Amino acid sequence: MNTKTRQALARIGSRYPSRRSALLPALDLLQREARGHIDHESLVEAARVAGVPLSEAYGVQTYYTMFRRQPVGRYHLQVDTNIPAMLAGADKIVSHLQKRLGIRPGERTEDGLFSLETVEDLAACGTCPVIQVGDRYYENMTPARVDKLLAALRKGKLPDLPAQAHFSSQCNILLARRGVERAFDIKVYRKHGGYGALPLALQKKPEEIVAAVKDANLRGRGGAGFPAGVKWGFLPKDGNKPVYLICNADEGEPGTFKDRQIMEHDPHLLIEGMTIAGYAIGARLGFIYIRGEFAWIADILERAIEQARQEKLLGENILGTSAHFDIVVHRGAGAYVCGEETALIESLEGKRGNPRLKPPFPAAVGLYGCPTIVNNVETLANVPYIVQHGAEAYKRIGTPNNFGPKIFGISGHVRRPGTYEYPLGTPLDELLRAAGGVVGRLKAVIVGGLSVPILTAKEARGLVMDYDSCLKAGTMLGSGGIMVMNQSVRIPRVALRAIEFYAHESCGQCTPCRQGSRVVAELLRRICERRGAAQDIERVLELCATIKGSTLCPTGDAFATPIEAMVKKFRPEFEALVR
Amino acid sequence: MTNSMAEVVKSKVILVIGSNTTWNHPVFGSLMKRAVKHHGAKLIVCDPRRIELCDFAHIWLQQRNGSDVALLSGLQYIILHEGWENASYIRERCEGYEEYRKAIEFFTPEKVEELTGVKPADLRAAAELFARSGVGALYYCMGITQHSHGVDNVKACVNLQLITGNIGVEGGGVNPLRGQSNVQGACDMGGLPNVFTAYQPVTNPAAVEKFSKAWGAPLSAKPGMTLTEMIPAAGDKIRALYVLGENPMMSDPNLHHVEESLEKLDLLVVQDIFLTETARLADVVLPGVSFAEKTGTITNTERRVQLTWPALVPTGNVRQDYEIVADLAKRFGHDFPRTPEGLFEEMRRLTPSYAGMTYRRLERVGLQWPCPSEDHPGTKVLHCGKFARGLALLTPLSYRPPAEVPDGEFDMVLSTGRILQHYHTGSMTRRSSILNLIVAAGHVELHPEDARRAGIAADDRVVVVTRRGRIETRALVTQRVAPGSIFVPFHFAEAAANRLTNDALDPVAKIPEYKVCAARIERAGTAKA
Amino acid sequence: MKITIDGRSVDAQPGQTVLDAARAAGIWIPALCYHPKTGKAGRCRACVVEVEGQRGLKESCALPVREGMVVRTDTPRIHSVRRMIVELLLSEGHHNCISCQANGICELQDMAYHLGIDRPGLRIDSHPTPLDDSSPGILRESDKCIHCGRCVAACQNGVVNQVLAFAHRGSHARVVCDDDVPMGQSSCVQCGECVQVCPVGALTLKQPRERKIRPYEARPTKVTCPYCGVGCQIDLYTKDNRYAYAMAHEQDWQEQPNQGMLCVKGRFGLDFVDAPDRLRHPLVRKNGELVEASWDEALDRVAAGFKEIKEKHGPDAIGFLTSAKVTNEENYAFSRFARAVIGTNNIDHCARL
Repeated sequence: MNTKTRQALARIGSRYPSRRSALLPALDLLQREARGHIDHESLVEAARVAGVPLSEAYGVQTYYTMFRRQPVGRYHLQVDTNIPAMLAGADKIVSHLQKRLGIRPGERTEDGLFSLETVEDLAACGTCPVIQVGDRYYENMTPARVDKLLAALRKGKLPDLPAQAHFSSQCNILLARRGVERAFDIKVYRKHGGYGALPLALQKKPEEIVAAVKDANLRGRGGAGFPAGVKWGFLPKDGNKPVYLICNADEGEPGTFKDRQIMEHDPHLLIEGMTIAGYAIGARLGFIYIRGEFAWIADILERAIEQARQEKLLGENILGTSAHFDIVVHRGAGAYVCGEETALIESLEGKRGNPRLKPPFPAAVGLYGCPTIVNNVETLANVPYIVQHGAEAYKRIGTPNNFGPKIFGISGHVRRPGTYEYPLGTPLDELLRAAGGVVGRLKAVIVGGLSVPILTAKEARGLVMDYDSCLKAGTMLGSGGIMVMNQSVRIPRVALRAIEFYAHESCGQCTPCRQGSRVVAELLRRICERRGAAQDIERVLELCATIKGSTLCPTGDAFATPIEAMVKKFRPEFEALVR
Repeated sequence: MTNSMAEVVKSKVILVIGSNTTWNHPVFGSLMKRAVKHHGAKLIVCDPRRIELCDFAHIWLQQRNGSDVALLSGLQYIILHEGWENASYIRERCEGYEEYRKAIEFFTPEKVEELTGVKPADLRAAAELFARSGVGALYYCMGITQHSHGVDNVKACVNLQLITGNIGVEGGGVNPLRGQSNVQGACDMGGLPNVFTAYQPVTNPAAVEKFSKAWGAPLSAKPGMTLTEMIPAAGDKIRALYVLGENPMMSDPNLHHVEESLEKLDLLVVQDIFLTETARLADVVLPGVSFAEKTGTITNTERRVQLTWPALVPTGNVRQDYEIVADLAKRFGHDFPRTPEGLFEEMRRLTPSYAGMTYRRLERVGLQWPCPSEDHPGTKVLHCGKFARGLALLTPLSYRPPAEVPDGEFDMVLSTGRILQHYHTGSMTRRSSILNLIVAAGHVELHPEDARRAGIAADDRVVVVTRRGRIETRALVTQRVAPGSIFVPFHFAEAAANRLTNDALDPVAKIPEYKVCAARIERAGTAKA
Repeated sequence: MKITIDGRSVDAQPGQTVLDAARAAGIWIPALCYHPKTGKAGRCRACVVEVEGQRGLKESCALPVREGMVVRTDTPRIHSVRRMIVELLLSEGHHNCISCQANGICELQDMAYHLGIDRPGLRIDSHPTPLDDSSPGILRESDKCIHCGRCVAACQNGVVNQVLAFAHRGSHARVVCDDDVPMGQSSCVQCGECVQVCPVGALTLKQPRERKIRPYEARPTKVTCPYCGVGCQIDLYTKDNRYAYAMAHEQDWQEQPNQGMLCVKGRFGLDFVDAPDRLRHPLVRKNGELVEASWDEALDRVAAGFKEIKEKHGPDAIGFLTSAKVTNEENYAFSRFARAVIGTNNIDHCARL
């Protein structure tokens, strides 16, 4: 190992209050150095840097999909085949690549130039199909664009193939600068009104900010909709341990691609929101836990954070006050479950991303055993507006108990898939119109990311998109990831693809999730391959019913609920396959 | 031990010196690792070898073999100069401070570096960590005692714990880890030349009278000879030796001499369960029973007296060990109790620290002495509030080098000890199939640099030679030992480490210097005669 | 305090979990991942209960008792979860009780029996994983592993040998040694704590298997380990007056010096008691050879020898080496013999060696 790597490893270690947190970044660095995989020596080195036994380092390495034990091609092509991608024709891209490269997923070309892999959701649902090459996403892929990509790669060049992302903003809060050139630059952000809230916040007492956020009833945008101000209020008063703020940027729920819009195009909005939140809850250090696939977005965030530090908006004595706050960007390494807050904390501590038993909740015992608040990107991005304009102004957006703007990510069979910022409480029909309308005839829609119950076209009619209305309609608003399916879609295939995803992502800790997802997948595969029996449908329903509420973390419900809904609501389609 | 093993998780800082705990006391080693990993204890390891505990240590001081007085006194020099000592404890509970303080002045960090090889900055960091973290425990083992100045080493340990106020407090203490299942009990029971049970001196007329009355015989008030004195005196002052379950032909220093001595005896009686190296020289061999075939009590390193029960019925024409002794006593007209409990009951009446123990009370989890009465709960921490002698004595110490140091002819430092998989003279472990599958034969640990210089490759057959003898064994090339040092485990009769060791003794404790002597190592076949 | 479990009023101690309180009261709650030594894990989900006034199922292994709480362990919902867990665990792997070394002491077998599961309803074909018989004392059969995590917790946090860990994820997750090398090539020191806590037959001792002894045929006796001075309490298992195997004594483990742990010597190094070269009769040297003798002959010779030497050279010409390996009672008797019968204080042992 060269001195540069050694120094880089030492730097990684010094970023964290606990050395152990350096494990994921160290593995990432060593994998890059070794061109794509981690061998025994690298693993030993990473374990040494993080101060963990080899066995645990191996356990961590093999937990995360981005770490590889075997060498890959110089260009490792990863094709997202999850449901939004499937709806956009990812299968065709995979078979096209297979034909062109002469290899199957999991293989490497003889010249070592290419390797191919199918992967789970890459949070590019609006711009599917997507291929990840190294740290870059190639979106809106068609066979023709694939050929262009391969031709460039063969010449040793990562080409520029711009994606066509659709968006619009009715509220001009979260996506206000989405179309602005270089909005990631602090000068541009300031020019457009950025960092207006932070000085105001620092003039207030922290508890006033907490009160305002409580008053605005800002509900968590990660999926559960739990009021952020109430969560902040759970922190122990007068504790002597440090408090940490973590921004959950592990956007991985299939159908969801909203947080990346903020981080990639308007990072200072998040930084400003986090700094205010950090000040409000008494944290001196915050982390952005960002999914590892978003490597270039993490770079954007790190550059923005550095800019903010230069301008005394982060670090010691922010804007000359006695407030201190800084942010560390921590990259995940490929694990859906790390979106669950306790799993995220474990992962940030350099461990396998296994959810913890609750209680205790993170507000009491979180990162490094200290009080910790975990908020979603979009949630934190709402905070500057509330501070700047007040809770009353905020509450004028949306519907009662469901205030504020929301970014809806619309994918699947619509003409203009993309991200649309609308007030909570906007009718689904209006959102679909914003996205250019349904291609073909609407058959079903999943409105809150893959983990919520599917709605038939009939059920979706007239649906109002806010937390309470969705609940009333038998589903959930979740992350606001709307997946639209037309009459061409076969629901049993969607169900199978969904359970395959969850089985792949189950952390494996608890029996019902680990083995339940596997057995349900096996049963649905039998059904889809016409090898099943009528009894298998019953078994799927029985298992889903029993799994719900019996698992260690919400992941069990996250698959049992939607699978159950798909089978129940589209049962004739399943029955047709077992006849 | 002044304290109890379970307390290790309550220590804020732990200093381990001369103990390869995870090999020699593996289960306690686990508790120690747990204290560091899960209870936030800081760990300082002082050892010439890079033992497993170094992986868990916050600071590892690699002192030269035999330089422990300098190292420990150096720590005290810094603590006293920085004002990190516990002044009120010294004032209220210690005496001899003035003279002790004067003696410490010799051990400046520079002097200590010269004697131990430990850098002043490391020494300082260790002193600070130890003195300023809160309650600290000190653990040691044979790495402290098996020296020609072993008593001084122990006193240096005690001094450190006294000036930091760590004796008589939970989570602290001076804690020697006892190496054999009942070495504590053998001492407690008066298996020593100068004391009856519970350390009642044979020179105390009242004790002599008490035991003489109880045993119905006149008793000598003259302290006897130690093992290390008896063996060289064999055939001269000592004409007969009765050895119970020991194997001096493996365990004693300078074996060549031991064998010559034992052969000069008029009568050698060995009572054992195997025909050990020593039993082979005996005139009479008396077959006793193994631990698994007997009832009785065993006292562990933390003074806990525990019952052990027979799992097996002995087979063959063997007798319980206490029966054999009673049968012999009978031939001299003495009647000994004929049951373990009978013996225990007689013993506890004569033994204040065991007086409150009964088999019934010991049944569940044992009792720790002192336990003076039947309503006493036993004692986890010794010296709370008061020392047995009133005030504790701070002893002024000076540095003495080992009896034999490397020179041109014997250029390496040899130390001996145990490995994880074997025990003592190997009479038990070398008969265990699994342990022998793991480690079948002996070896010598040798640093790669020294190996290269001597043209020795890993696993080569090598000869280790000292002024006393030579053995042939396998080279284990490892960075566990420091350059210039070698380590030989003493479990293996065919390559018996004690053919090499020096029989130089500590003048007070009469303990041999197993941890340092001069040796040379060569590839087998190339060795000079 | 009092809590109510299934309509029964039950005594509970503050700090206790519902599981502990229920078990103390003789109420059966299965728990495959919880072990007193490794603590709560929340992995198996078998111990879930319902608490009046609270939503959903709660892990009783992690649920502290509260005064007056009303707990149910016997609702149809709980029953169906328990059945599902056993079904799911049996749906993969190779749980073959006939030849399993854990037969009779297997907690999964027990749970299936309690629930009346005769034949698992779900089966997924899986390829058998090769046995790991690479280590001297322990056999690993990962096809019998139920992912309870006890062995990992015990190895990482109990004995802190840090060899076993979970690797991979989801249903591919499995327990590995170091970076997935066979146990015999790993840094494992064979303390056997993993076997001690394994609820099923995934980790078993080779010793009883080689001796063809089923655990339920062997009888434990509490002994003190004959090796170092820690004084580990061992359950020595025997069958037909032969050594079978050794486990740490776990009763009152928190108060035992070894806290329910053993090292490689205590676990595997006790079979010397059955060594073929154990001395079985007294020996007396005749014409330079040690030959078999009767007890009377041997003892008479010793007594005569001592008497003669004592007469000729005085009692201090006789020395005694007592032992750090025998009991206090024996040491006491030996010391009394030296001092009172022979009349010398020449007694010592190998404390220094």
